[in-house]
Amino acid sequence: MKRKSLRFYFRIYRKILAQDIKSKMSYRADFIISTIGMIFTNVAGFISFWILFRRFPSINGWSYHEMLFLYGFSLVSLTPVQCLFDNNWSLRQYVYTGDFIKYCFRPINLFFYFQSEVFDIKGLGQFAFGIGTLVYSWNKIGLDFTPLILLKVIVFLITASLIMIALQNAAAATCFWIQNSFYVLDLVYRFRDYAKYPITIFNPVFKFIFTFVIPIAFIAYYPSLVILRPDDIPLLSWLSPLFGLVFFWLSYKFWMHGALKYNGTGS
Amino acid sequence: MKLKKYLTLTRAGIIEALQFRLSAFIMVVGNLSYLIVIYFLWKAIYASSGTDIVNGMTFNDTLIYLVLATALFGFMEMYTVWEMGRAIQSGKVVLDLIKPMDIRRYLFWCYSGNFVVNFFFTFLPTFIAVCIITNGAVPVGLNLVYFAVSVVMAILINYSIDFFTGTICVYTESIWGVNIMKQVIVLLLSGATIPLAFFPDGLRTVVEKLPFASIYNAPLTLLLDSSPNSDTLLETLGMQFIWCVSMTMISRLFWKVSLRKITVNGG
Repeated sequence: MKRKSLRFYFRIYRKILAQDIKSKMSYRADFIISTIGMIFTNVAGFISFWILFRRFPSINGWSYHEMLFLYGFSLVSLTPVQCLFDNNWSLRQYVYTGDFIKYCFRPINLFFYFQSEVFDIKGLGQFAFGIGTLVYSWNKIGLDFTPLILLKVIVFLITASLIMIALQNAAAATCFWIQNSFYVLDLVYRFRDYAKYPITIFNPVFKFIFTFVIPIAFIAYYPSLVILRPDDIPLLSWLSPLFGLVFFWLSYKFWMHGALKYNGTGS
Repeated sequence: MKLKKYLTLTRAGIIEALQFRLSAFIMVVGNLSYLIVIYFLWKAIYASSGTDIVNGMTFNDTLIYLVLATALFGFMEMYTVWEMGRAIQSGKVVLDLIKPMDIRRYLFWCYSGNFVVNFFFTFLPTFIAVCIITNGAVPVGLNLVYFAVSVVMAILINYSIDFFTGTICVYTESIWGVNIMKQVIVLLLSGATIPLAFFPDGLRTVVEKLPFASIYNAPLTLLLDSSPNSDTLLETLGMQFIWCVSMTMISRLFWKVSLRKITVNGG
């Protein structure tokens, strides 16, 4: 099979996206309520953050605004998984009912086609919220702002987002073996909440686990160090883009492995 | 006595719940990971506060409070909103309505089997583990009785809120959106994520008047208080009782009114 160019995929994505948005718009009330629900989640997250940390000048050497920076960073880097890979939540139903087979017969990349089918607009609210938090804390800490730093932020945000995408792909793909992957997905979903805390609060054992086994420290902590503590950047921070790419690639292979061994429900 | 028909539902629920062992196991892993994170997080918070007692709560108090809140969550999360929302959307609600039992009671007792399973497999082990780990920081005495009474009322209040929220699904096509809003509000304002004692004073006085505080904050404060004075005891339990009665009435009334609005697709 001839490999399709990136431009081809881009064009196709736009078309599929338009269809998805049209179908979402036909359930307008649901769309509006879900969006409000999402905003609620973000506001409540922010309020709990504020209640917890407002009265302490610093936690473990992290000032309030630095913690806020981590929080904003995690919100932004968790946006792509929310917006672009939301169909992972439905994977188990497709596999269970046998509808998944329809994806196997398209002459385009299976993974791409499956994920492109759903775009979750609700995630954009979180994106705006995260950017706002980042800008606010950026000003309060008094960080420099140069094109180079902006470039760094963007690169690190994108690669950080790959970590959560990778975790979710892997969790969703377990349904090819255990059928109901909801609990695995839900478990992974809970981990994303922990990404906003600096990894230094944990003891060495859990520091290791959250860095290498369940790599949530790469969602906000390690990449943020590049911006927050430019004088003292650990090697892991520089390596975090690489980690993002490697984890994403591994999860893609795992997902595809499950998908290719899928042989329908027989009906 | 008519209790027998309800207990049959309880029994069915127990058998059903015991079928899903893998999901239960993953739930436990998820809860453990959450407990690890809050342990280290609050340790860091207490370390940076410089004092042993923050807002009248020691580190042990806070930990017991949050750990048991997580264990209680197993009781409180009844998925009523999903159950009702799906029944209304699919039309299955018609079958529930013609049953010779009030739907509000029917749904409650259907779930009651999970209470039993949850109590023996999550709550009790957690409670004993907490007692051992904190080395007797949980006072054992009459407060356990108050706690038990308080939890029963908390479950009833929570169920009324769930039932009320589920009824909203009669009017909207959105289950996810409605449910997430309810969940966010309940978890934050009930003190399940952060003990209410940590809330800023102005906010706390408002939140304490709301029904949500009766769900987690009331039973847990009663449990931690080894020698409550009769005023606070009466106030907490009285408040719970008032909410219990009024929320039951409100949710009943709302359902009664909404029942006329249900439209079910034929076919």
